[in-house]
Amino acid sequence: MIKSIENLGAWVLDVLDQTGRTSLMLLEAIWEILQPPYRFYPIVRQMYFIGARSLTLIIFSGITIGMVLGLQFYNILQRFGSVDLLGSGVALGVIRELGPVMTALMVVGRAGSSITAELGIMRITEQVDALECMAVSPDKFLIAPKVVAGILSVPLLTMVFDFVALYGGYFVGVIMFGVAPGSYMNGMIDAIEMPDVRLGLVKSLIFGGLVTLIACSRGFYIHLTRAGSQGAEGVSSATTDAVVLSSIGVLFADFLIGALMK
Amino acid sequence: MTPDNPNAITIRDLVVDYGPRRILHSVNLDIPLGQIMVIMGQSGAGKSTLLRCILGLKKPSSGSIHMLGTDIATATRKEIYDVRKHIGVAFQGGALFSSMTVAENIQLPLREHTNLDDKTIEIMTRIKLDMVDMLPAEHLMPAELSGGMTKRAALARAIIMDPKLLFFDEPSSGLDPSTAAELDQLIITLKNSMGMTIVVVTHELDSIFKIADHIAVVHQGNILETGTPQQITASTNPEIQGLLNRKPRENIVDADAHLRRLTGGF
Amino acid sequence: MECNLKSEAGFDLLELAGEVDLHFSPKLRETVLASLKNGKPLLIDMGKVSYIDSSGIASLVEGFQAAKTAKLQYGLLDISKTAMQVLTLTRLDKIFELYTSLDQFKLKL
Repeated sequence: MIKSIENLGAWVLDVLDQTGRTSLMLLEAIWEILQPPYRFYPIVRQMYFIGARSLTLIIFSGITIGMVLGLQFYNILQRFGSVDLLGSGVALGVIRELGPVMTALMVVGRAGSSITAELGIMRITEQVDALECMAVSPDKFLIAPKVVAGILSVPLLTMVFDFVALYGGYFVGVIMFGVAPGSYMNGMIDAIEMPDVRLGLVKSLIFGGLVTLIACSRGFYIHLTRAGSQGAEGVSSATTDAVVLSSIGVLFADFLIGALMK
Repeated sequence: MTPDNPNAITIRDLVVDYGPRRILHSVNLDIPLGQIMVIMGQSGAGKSTLLRCILGLKKPSSGSIHMLGTDIATATRKEIYDVRKHIGVAFQGGALFSSMTVAENIQLPLREHTNLDDKTIEIMTRIKLDMVDMLPAEHLMPAELSGGMTKRAALARAIIMDPKLLFFDEPSSGLDPSTAAELDQLIITLKNSMGMTIVVVTHELDSIFKIADHIAVVHQGNILETGTPQQITASTNPEIQGLLNRKPRENIVDADAHLRRLTGGF
Repeated sequence: MECNLKSEAGFDLLELAGEVDLHFSPKLRETVLASLKNGKPLLIDMGKVSYIDSSGIASLVEGFQAAKTAKLQYGLLDISKTAMQVLTLTRLDKIFELYTSLDQFKLKL
């Protein structure tokens, strides 16, 4: 009994530790990015890795989600005789919710896990120590470009997702079920207002930062967790942890932002 | 380090605790300028911890480490970075950056800390690669290198900025005897031709006596003894003699007991 | 580091003094390359150089290559013992043309 309380206590402290470290990491990354010399190439390179790795997945899942939405909304709206609202429904669902959330989750799986693995391996093979001993700040060289790239890439990927998802809905509604193309398009355009776009954008910016931060933190600080002493297997479990944690983080943040930005 | 100080590194009363465990017990050590100092001891004796403290990778619980005019034990991050621009470190596994070629690895310090022209950097990289006999490997990725090649590339990276202080963590580990001997020779040449102060942490006896000007023996977090190779060989300390002689294991005395140990039988 | 370029009869003499390291080697490089562009042979007087690091040596090497391409004589004068050790270590002692007097160089022209 006492043991389980001890374990719980240790777990809570560990979570607080990790949260603290990750927050510090964010602050250090911002600080380092603002120091001269200003290097844009590493950020662009990371954006390419994150974007290129995830693009195909984003496009496929975007079209599919759009089609599923089209399907389900059509089904529901048909019962109330309001299929002309299909465009609005799909558009609002994608831009406010599914676009940012699904994109973030895809990026977690593809780019996030590979960032954790990369940094974890660098840590356990002393590459991070080597950087430190060369007087090169790992925050500036490794972490900051990834975090900035994440914050910039995810909104861009979200826009791609939104675009193909809206087309997916169009395909199902108009081409499969014969909804009037005009009504779909007008429904889309009428329903979307600035607050909706703003919500989607804010979500994708925050998700981008959150996902990359967690991925970086789990890999970079692997030596401070139990996984750090287990070599290659440790990297594997750190990667899984990062994916689970980021996914939960995205879903939770999604609710919070939605509630706060009424 | 002042003009009249003959030591590159001065360590005083260094204590390192990992929670309740004391890893280093009030270590005192002087590392002389322009010489090769070998820090030897068994695995787990504390020599890696000592090295990490000297490099500023681990903050000790108390004590001081004076290196190139700064007390590493109490210095700020910026001060430690300033000192590190004048040192080179060759890690045990090489620690080459996996996403860059050998040449890009070696050039990294130059690209980060200087404004030298690309052409100059290229020539400097090639000079160092030639010194370690790795010129053909210039554009290879670290994953394509053998163990010996990795160590040499790591050495080239460590000396690219002509550091005053060079550190080796287990330089011969994983190498066959002839490659290890070549590396030993390179270490000696670097001391002689470039006047570097070199610190080698190792447990390989053959290398130790070939390259060392001074030896420090570490055992269970203490420095047992320091001295020249001759002095250490002549030491009367039983622990040191044990380390040096690698006594063969004693013959089995109780056959019965041994049989039981092996079979888990009764 | 000090860097003095003098015009002699039929060649340029570059007098170096002090420490040639990461900070000063770009100036050396600039001076050497600019001088060779003028199409005259170059002799670099290393007698007063107290210290030269690999960036300095790299600049000398680059100069040598440029001189070879332009088919101009290029030599180093009065190399110190320590600088010589570095050249031997980097296997450049056989590459450079080393002189101990101005006359030696003039003979080669």
